[in-house]
Amino acid sequence: MTDPKPARRAEALRLHRKLLPIWSSDQRFRGWLTTNNNNDIGGLFLIVATIFFVIGGILAMLIRAQLASPGSAFMGPEAYNQVFTMHGTVMMFLFAIPFFEAMAVLLLPGMLGTRDLAYPRLGAYGLWVYIFGGSAVIIAMLLGLSPDGGWFMYPPLSSSAFSPGIGPDVWLLGITSIEVSAIAAAVEVVVTVLRYRAAGMSLARMPIFAWYILVVAVMILTAFPPMILGSLLLEVERAFGWPFFQTENGGDALLWQHLFWLFGHPEVYIIFLPAAGMIATILPVMARTRLLGYAWVVAAVVALALLSFGLWVHHMFTTGIPHMGLAFFSAASTLVAVPTAVMIFSWIGTLWQGKPRLELPMLWILGFFATFVIGGLTGVMLAIVPFNWQVHDTHFVVAHLHYVLIGGYVFPMIAAVYYFLPLLTGHSRFFKLGEIAFWITVPAFHLTFLAMHWAGILGQRRRTWTYDAGSGWEWINLTASIGAFAMAIGFALVIGDVVVNTLVARKARRNPWGAGTLEWATMLPSPVYGLASIPVIAGRYPLDDDPQLALRIARGEGFLADTSRNRRETLIVSTTGGEPAQVAVLPGNSVLPFILAVVTSTSFLAPLVGAYLLSGAALIGVVVVALIWAWGLGSKADEGPVDAGRGVTLPLSTEVPDPPGWWGSLMLLLADSVHFGSLLFGYAFLWTVAPNWPPPSYLAPGAVDAVLAGAGAVALLAGPRWAARSILKGAGPWPGLVLAVLGAVALAGAATGIILARPDPAGHAYDATLWLLAGHVGLHVAITAIMLGYLTARVLAGYTSPRRIGDARIVQLWADFTALTGLVALAAAWLPGVFG
Amino acid sequence: MTTLIGLSGCKGEVSILDPAGSVARDIAGLWWVLLLGAVVIFVAVMALLAWAMVRPQGRTSERVWFWGLGLAFPMLVLSALTVHGLVVGERLLARSAEGVVTVRAEARQWAWSFGYADAPGRVTEDLLHIPAGRPVDVEIGSVDVVHSFWVPRLAGKLDAIPGRINVLHLQADRPGDYAGVGAEFSGYGYLDHVFTVRAHDPAAWAAFLAETP
Amino acid sequence: MTDIARLSVPLTLWLISFSGLYGLHGLVCSGHWTRLAGSGAEVAGQTALIAGFLAALLVQAVAVAVLWTQRFGGPPGFVRTTSLALALVALVATLWTLGPSVALPACAWPSATVAG
Repeated sequence: MTDPKPARRAEALRLHRKLLPIWSSDQRFRGWLTTNNNNDIGGLFLIVATIFFVIGGILAMLIRAQLASPGSAFMGPEAYNQVFTMHGTVMMFLFAIPFFEAMAVLLLPGMLGTRDLAYPRLGAYGLWVYIFGGSAVIIAMLLGLSPDGGWFMYPPLSSSAFSPGIGPDVWLLGITSIEVSAIAAAVEVVVTVLRYRAAGMSLARMPIFAWYILVVAVMILTAFPPMILGSLLLEVERAFGWPFFQTENGGDALLWQHLFWLFGHPEVYIIFLPAAGMIATILPVMARTRLLGYAWVVAAVVALALLSFGLWVHHMFTTGIPHMGLAFFSAASTLVAVPTAVMIFSWIGTLWQGKPRLELPMLWILGFFATFVIGGLTGVMLAIVPFNWQVHDTHFVVAHLHYVLIGGYVFPMIAAVYYFLPLLTGHSRFFKLGEIAFWITVPAFHLTFLAMHWAGILGQRRRTWTYDAGSGWEWINLTASIGAFAMAIGFALVIGDVVVNTLVARKARRNPWGAGTLEWATMLPSPVYGLASIPVIAGRYPLDDDPQLALRIARGEGFLADTSRNRRETLIVSTTGGEPAQVAVLPGNSVLPFILAVVTSTSFLAPLVGAYLLSGAALIGVVVVALIWAWGLGSKADEGPVDAGRGVTLPLSTEVPDPPGWWGSLMLLLADSVHFGSLLFGYAFLWTVAPNWPPPSYLAPGAVDAVLAGAGAVALLAGPRWAARSILKGAGPWPGLVLAVLGAVALAGAATGIILARPDPAGHAYDATLWLLAGHVGLHVAITAIMLGYLTARVLAGYTSPRRIGDARIVQLWADFTALTGLVALAAAWLPGVFG
Repeated sequence: MTTLIGLSGCKGEVSILDPAGSVARDIAGLWWVLLLGAVVIFVAVMALLAWAMVRPQGRTSERVWFWGLGLAFPMLVLSALTVHGLVVGERLLARSAEGVVTVRAEARQWAWSFGYADAPGRVTEDLLHIPAGRPVDVEIGSVDVVHSFWVPRLAGKLDAIPGRINVLHLQADRPGDYAGVGAEFSGYGYLDHVFTVRAHDPAAWAAFLAETP
Repeated sequence: MTDIARLSVPLTLWLISFSGLYGLHGLVCSGHWTRLAGSGAEVAGQTALIAGFLAALLVQAVAVAVLWTQRFGGPPGFVRTTSLALALVALVATLWTLGPSVALPACAWPSATVAG
């Protein structure tokens, strides 16, 4: 008998050589523009986010240089106001969110035991939109055109009357485009976690990071839309004078604060939770044990996420809301500390039951504990209403938020970068610069921000560009500045250390930390295709359960090891149990995401220079490119169930009623419905409390409008259903499609009636709101109409069949949303006129 | 203007730990409670963490870590704290009481105008007169952007929002000058958006009201 | 997806009732309410808020009860335990965050709005 080992190794190598050409990106330079592999996209994301971190850090140094001494002549208020606004904006939007998205894009497929994310092209699109939007914001800053009203942009200060320049527009349009990118990533993450996993990975067996990032992605889908709506309102007020925030014309400055913090508070947890997920992943490995209380932690994450949506008013304790209202939010703000405590004690308990080793990632996690616990405690202080009245808008708050964000996000993320360095680069750390950097950064951080609390207590307001000698704040600010510069050196050392170790360190061995989760089942660095075959797992720590698993995956003993179909395939499982359900065919390299990002960004950024025509043209470009993109997917013939390996036959994801596109649409529509809900909230808010309401007159609906709306909605609900059923039966879908188009036209007619009846949206906030409600209907009718036209073309070209019903089902989903929210929008528009 | 900046800059002039009235004193007391509690909890958690790092490996129970430390401990502390905060907050609210003096503060970029219910027509710029030892309700409004009225030694801050009037309750124990600042970022001149509150003894207050405008 | 719903619905209900009661509070302290309820506006407002609070508690109690059943709570295991725990969390959250509606006067901050 021959030794089986070399033969088996040869088997793994053979599979590796077959998978490589299928999954590789173009090796020429253009490969950077056409790649959609998660390793490439995630890596680029990570590098760009780090560059923005450096830019944000330089801005922070400018602030600390200015405040180091009283009466400093280094900057005047014009420059200082731009610098602190941009520091906050860059760190929150251009660094924090993209950085964890990058980590998720890089690590999630491996952790879940799949080969790539659900929508590789969408990921690439999100990356490019982010790069373009972020760069535009930075270029504007270099030209001296930054916003200067603080990163939360309160109107009326940010309205055209008090900020006539393009600064706020840069902020609103740039940030919105980045939010679009974040929503794209969130859709991708949710669908990936819910459906793209290893066989047998039930919800209860998911790695803990998957729970965290799933919850975070859903939070992005539900927290960003209010902000996008707020930006839309402020931008149309600035551009066209629709008075949403102008008191004299029925607007209300407080509406912005509500919408902003409806986003802004969950945002804090959106940033914290991915870092917490990293801790929950890394800390048990460092302690050579397993996470204590997995179910407790999952429950705490879900609870924290939902509770965080009930805290927004605690940023508005000084706006004059009656005390009972404040009490609700004060109570909710203290309550949110409970799930946080559950997590903290889960981690300390894990260390307690384990045998911790003080490797560099663990060191940074200890830095996290020492910092975040203080941030949490000052957070509880700020939740106490009377104390908040005193320290709100002082340096105390600035210190608190840096404790939470740097302690709760940056430190754990550094731990994560070091922990995953072998996986991402194939190198294990060689130079011991990291420990030095740690011992500079963390003490310097505490020096800076402990001092800053005290400045706030002594009454130093945030956002003041200087202070007088004799104020008693001199030594505090000098201390804070010295600490800040030391901290900057520390962070620079961390970045330098990571870069050097990436480029020149020694090769790492497999699974260097002895982790139990699937991302470590590959060779290092993780190859483009991820896993050579999709494993079957039976527990939360499959590599612990079966030490040979990595080898068996590489030899192709899992699912989808057969490369003969010569395309990128991965497994789709049932949401709960993780049973294999479908075979997903992922798209290959394409330049379309890049092109779509170019036209999207053009349509967003062109208004900055007043090029509305170009913006409109680019918007048409978006539609055209999106259609070309969608057209390229799918097939003209039924392929039938395919051999997925291990003796299992599964349908292709293009030949099921719920293809990935359907799930993605569902998530996108979740975000859309929150956006719509925010609009209704804004409407109700203005009606209830805005000073100059009621408007001079309410819109009186006619019977024709009501009939159009009702009949249109019914037709739009019924038509696509009918069409889908016809396709399922192999019949022509034409009657259903015609009915759907008629329904869309009728709804559009009803919406047009509102526009015609109220021709002046700049007159009163009520009229402006009516236009937005009508605009919501119009936009969604247009989207649905385009999709109906697309479906018609697909049917004619032979892309549909009783098996390939996915396109029709996706159109049906969008039509349902249009019909239902359209009806609600129109009813809301008419309601005050009927009763008032 | 320069003198006002000078005033607001003096040591402790805007410190919340140097209260000169009942409202600010209540909140300063609250701060010391919060600080003490936070220090105790922080030290305890860090001690637990250090112990967990160095102790030999061992089994542990979810009951202690989650039911005890994760739930019972924070809920006990937080419910007490929340109720305490609300009781203090309720005590500090503006409400109709015997002898309340009502004044009006109107913010704009970057100055303050003050009016007096007891002296109709009187307007003072950047200087608010109040009687010492009596409860004062300040009706706060703005004519342009969002501002905030803050006299740290007397009370917490309350925003000045266009189209609304918010009422802040404060009281100065003794006659004297107290520094006040605009405490919501308001653009270019934010730093110098400051004012002074001058608390008078009964005789001086009567004299102030009697002055012809 | 049923399991995802089991995990997320109870606290989503809390969020709805929390926001709803806050909205009702805004309405009670607005001019609309005095127009609507006339001279007894203050008592009516306080009563409405307390009623809303009790209704929210009832909803959460029902959520716990429903998830307790075999039919809606699903088979024993991770999801059942976790969703029941989250339903209890939602009940406690309702009690905790909306409790002030029975303990405090509704509109104790005389914050008036004026035409601008």
